[in-house]
Amino acid sequence: MNMIEFRNVTKIYEDNTAALKNINLIVRKGEFVFLVGPSGSGKSTFIKLIIKEVDETDGSIFIAGRNICNLRSSKIPQLRRNIGCVFQDFKLLPNKTIFENVAFALEVIGKPVYEIKIQVSQVLKLVGLYDKIDSYPHQLSAGEQQRVSIARAFVNRPPILLADEPTGNLDPITSEGIMKILSRINLIGTTVLMATHDKNIVNSMRRRVVELEEGEIVRDQKRGVYGD
Amino acid sequence: MVRPGYFFSETFSSLRRNFFMTCAAISTVAITLFIVGLFTVIVYDVMGVVNSIKSQVELAVYLEDGISSGLKDYIEQEIKSWEEVDSVKYVSKDQALERFKEQNEGSDILKEIEGNPLPASFEITLKDPEKIDRVALRFYDKDGNYIEGVNDVIYGKNYVNKLFSITAIIGVITIIIIAVLLLAAIVLIFNTIRLSIYARRKEIEVMKLVGATNWFVRIPFLFEGFLEGFTGGIISIILLYFTGNFLLIRAERLIVDTMRIKEMAIVGSGGVIIYVYIGLAVLGGLIGLLSSGIALRKYVKV
Repeated sequence: MNMIEFRNVTKIYEDNTAALKNINLIVRKGEFVFLVGPSGSGKSTFIKLIIKEVDETDGSIFIAGRNICNLRSSKIPQLRRNIGCVFQDFKLLPNKTIFENVAFALEVIGKPVYEIKIQVSQVLKLVGLYDKIDSYPHQLSAGEQQRVSIARAFVNRPPILLADEPTGNLDPITSEGIMKILSRINLIGTTVLMATHDKNIVNSMRRRVVELEEGEIVRDQKRGVYGD
Repeated sequence: MVRPGYFFSETFSSLRRNFFMTCAAISTVAITLFIVGLFTVIVYDVMGVVNSIKSQVELAVYLEDGISSGLKDYIEQEIKSWEEVDSVKYVSKDQALERFKEQNEGSDILKEIEGNPLPASFEITLKDPEKIDRVALRFYDKDGNYIEGVNDVIYGKNYVNKLFSITAIIGVITIIIIAVLLLAAIVLIFNTIRLSIYARRKEIEVMKLVGATNWFVRIPFLFEGFLEGFTGGIISIILLYFTGNFLLIRAERLIVDTMRIKEMAIVGSGGVIIYVYIGLAVLGGLIGLLSSGIALRKYVKV
């Protein structure tokens, strides 16, 4: 089953800079894909298109077989509930505890309290932070904070997990821990797409690598390395 | 690297910012609505004074001495047939003297009066005091002289006309002032909600990211705006209540006493003050909702 499919997708921003040019790509269910390339190559635009934070200029995007190009704005929340997102800057809320931060993702989509308690506990065990449940983000290390943000992205068990430079702020050893968690999430059947320019991580994981350069796919390699 | 200190200071500055912004919004609405309410009450009272003065406007038609009762009856019938006229009262020479004696009891003037120098008269009140000019003109003939049997027509012509134009001007000015104040209140709440959206931009970002519906994101801000406006409205009611009780009523008593105005709408005496209170609370809530609605449209693209 095709989880993410781009058909001739072009994105030109309002200032006429082309971020993506005629992209064709299929990501199948359960795949782990690295999206690599230098800054400004279009990695972030790729991710923003999937969650409809920006709209494509041309072409079609299919998520789980559904064309999302003409999705009504009232249907966008439903789309986003099926896609977890992790970012370089974590996007944790500083005035909420770890539990509250993760629970927030379920509260805003209207899950009942008892379900929230169970799901949050489970996902915090998965990322190994159950003992920090009552801490605040500022009391955690950067690596731990990123694990909280992964927990929040995954707490609703979305079929797709997107990660935009999740290790960009972390040292190599901490990054390795993050990658272990993402691999574990991928192993339970989640499709993972990770944009990165962290050479060591890509080379050590040996997963599918899609390389972007100036908005075009220049390489798509199974069990690839970062290159150059 | 994200420093823990950054999170720390962000937390506390955000809390402080929210607190002061909320206070600023509420006090802005309270002061604005208080002024609106005060103006409304004062205007209502001024209108009350004007109306009571208006209703006291009468036309006095003095008759010639020795007028035949036939002519007198004819004039009376004629006046009664005019549609502008509310009532006509005939005051005979004897009644006029009687009244004069009552009004000047104990005065030396009475001793100097010989016989009855006072004329008989018709006292006319009108349904619409603004038509007093038109009615008065009917007592003149083509050449500008009084018609037969009439000696003099008296009414405060200039005084009445001035009163009418002043009333109109006060009305227009007040409407302008209230409109400007309301606009200021809307702009200020809009601004505080905008800042509040800015202060909570991270929460909004996360909400949108995890798939919160548009209404889920909007409702807290709409509620915040409503609450700020409504609370401001309630505070303005309290302010108005005390101002009304301790200042306006005293001032009005003073005016009533010095100007000898028969009846006057005193703050709190009429049912109108209840409507002003309800109006302020509703207006406060609506201003809050409206302002945050505009701010959301502009700053939360969901």
